[in-house]
Amino acid sequence: MNYQFNWSVLWSGQTGAWLLQGLLVTLEISILGWLLAVMLGLFSGALRTVPIAPMRWLAAAYVEFFRNVPLLVWMFFWYFGISPLLPQVLRDWLLEHGAEFSAGVCALGFYHGARFSEVIRAGIRSIPKTQFEAALSTGLTIAQAYRLIILPIALRLILPPVTNETLNLLKNSSVALTIGVAELTFQTRQIETYTAKAFEALAAGTVVYLALCLAIAAAMARIERRVAIPGMISRGRTGGG
Amino acid sequence: MKRPLVFIWLAVIFCVGNVPLVGAENTLAKIDKSGNLTIGTRRGSPPFAYVNPNNEWVGFSIDLVEKAIIPALNKKLNKQIKLERKESTPQTRIPLLTANAVDLIAETMTDTQSRRESVDFSLTFFVTGAQFLVKKGSPIKGIQSIANQRIAAQQGSTNAKIIRARVPNAKLLEFPDQPAAFQALAQGQVQAYTNDGIQLAGLRAKAPKPDDWAIVGEFFSYEPYGMAMRKNDSDFRHVINVGLMDAIESGLYFQLYEKWFGPKGEVPYPLPAETKRFLQMQVVPK
Repeated sequence: MNYQFNWSVLWSGQTGAWLLQGLLVTLEISILGWLLAVMLGLFSGALRTVPIAPMRWLAAAYVEFFRNVPLLVWMFFWYFGISPLLPQVLRDWLLEHGAEFSAGVCALGFYHGARFSEVIRAGIRSIPKTQFEAALSTGLTIAQAYRLIILPIALRLILPPVTNETLNLLKNSSVALTIGVAELTFQTRQIETYTAKAFEALAAGTVVYLALCLAIAAAMARIERRVAIPGMISRGRTGGG
Repeated sequence: MKRPLVFIWLAVIFCVGNVPLVGAENTLAKIDKSGNLTIGTRRGSPPFAYVNPNNEWVGFSIDLVEKAIIPALNKKLNKQIKLERKESTPQTRIPLLTANAVDLIAETMTDTQSRRESVDFSLTFFVTGAQFLVKKGSPIKGIQSIANQRIAAQQGSTNAKIIRARVPNAKLLEFPDQPAAFQALAQGQVQAYTNDGIQLAGLRAKAPKPDDWAIVGEFFSYEPYGMAMRKNDSDFRHVINVGLMDAIESGLYFQLYEKWFGPKGEVPYPLPAETKRFLQMQVVPK
């Protein structure tokens, strides 16, 4: 290839600092987005299993609406669509305090909340009805059955898909660069602008995302093993225990 | 059943292994063999390279390639070369070149010293500089009045770099493309949008109400546009430069300029006398 690699652009000058800043912003927006997504997901996921029909419809509407529109559109929606509707005072305050960042958190949170919701609903639904009936027959109330039997098992069951969604959310945070959030991918582009070294900049970004995702996956796998109920959820490696 | 598979794998390995060999070949030989000149250009940078209302991919940069460079290539290689267009962006244009996906970048790429470490440039075919697009009547009059203001810029442009260095307390917001930046300006999320003057003129001309917008300030940067190509291929570069020099000398360049930037062009932008002189002085004797 007719290209001179110059890896030193990644640590000379300001580039190292940019990558670090980008990493911090990616982490901030992902963590806040994740918290919002998990709250919305738990709430709407639970609502979809309750016996009150209008609440189920409401939760279903939220899920279908938010997960079936591209994330990029949601980014623009929260940044360009919502902001003009706000009162001027609030708008000015937001513009001074990172309007793009908050729009990014909302877009990520609402979009992934809809996806988390499905994961949580699937987790609750995957527990056989007999389990619930057995719990009731031992004298537990419905709330107790949910709290002591259904949810503890469901939350363990959904750990693998939750890991998956978490990794997706982290990687999707890069879409926020379209509304000017200076996250990791943004900063790798910035490095390209300043040094014209596209391959090196992209490689650096790739390595950082890979490391972050592997770290999250490893941490989640550890939690999964920690909380596994022997004989309940069989994991290949632990041999059912 | 095993053996054919081995052959397939060998064929795959052979093909993959061959890619660097293609890269080592010079661009003229590649064009001679394929009969195509592949350029990386833009779909949304009027009037340099854009898709017009008739759905044709045209523009000043593309015209220069079609009418000045292709004839020079035809003459050099003694055959008819076809033009192929591919989309390139500030982030992908250098990788596209080095990966041999395109042979020439012909859009609105500023020639800079740091870019010259990765690619080679033709002679300069357009000169502009950064200015600001603001709502008419805005207090922003140029780079001197942007302190503490929210300013949008296009990421990957040289302008953002200069603002960051010269007015560190301006609140710079970078968008990956022109439409998002303009939307932010239209909604008042930012007070001004900075880009190369000619690009702002293009944007203003295409806006629903051009008279609502004003382009303000002296050029605060120097943006000479060049066509980029793979490094260390001076034969190819020479053909490109001969094409451009012949066009300037014969007046073809100025006809094309008139077509796109003249009073009846897409984006009226009179050619300053000193720029005309500069273009002519780049032409070396035959």
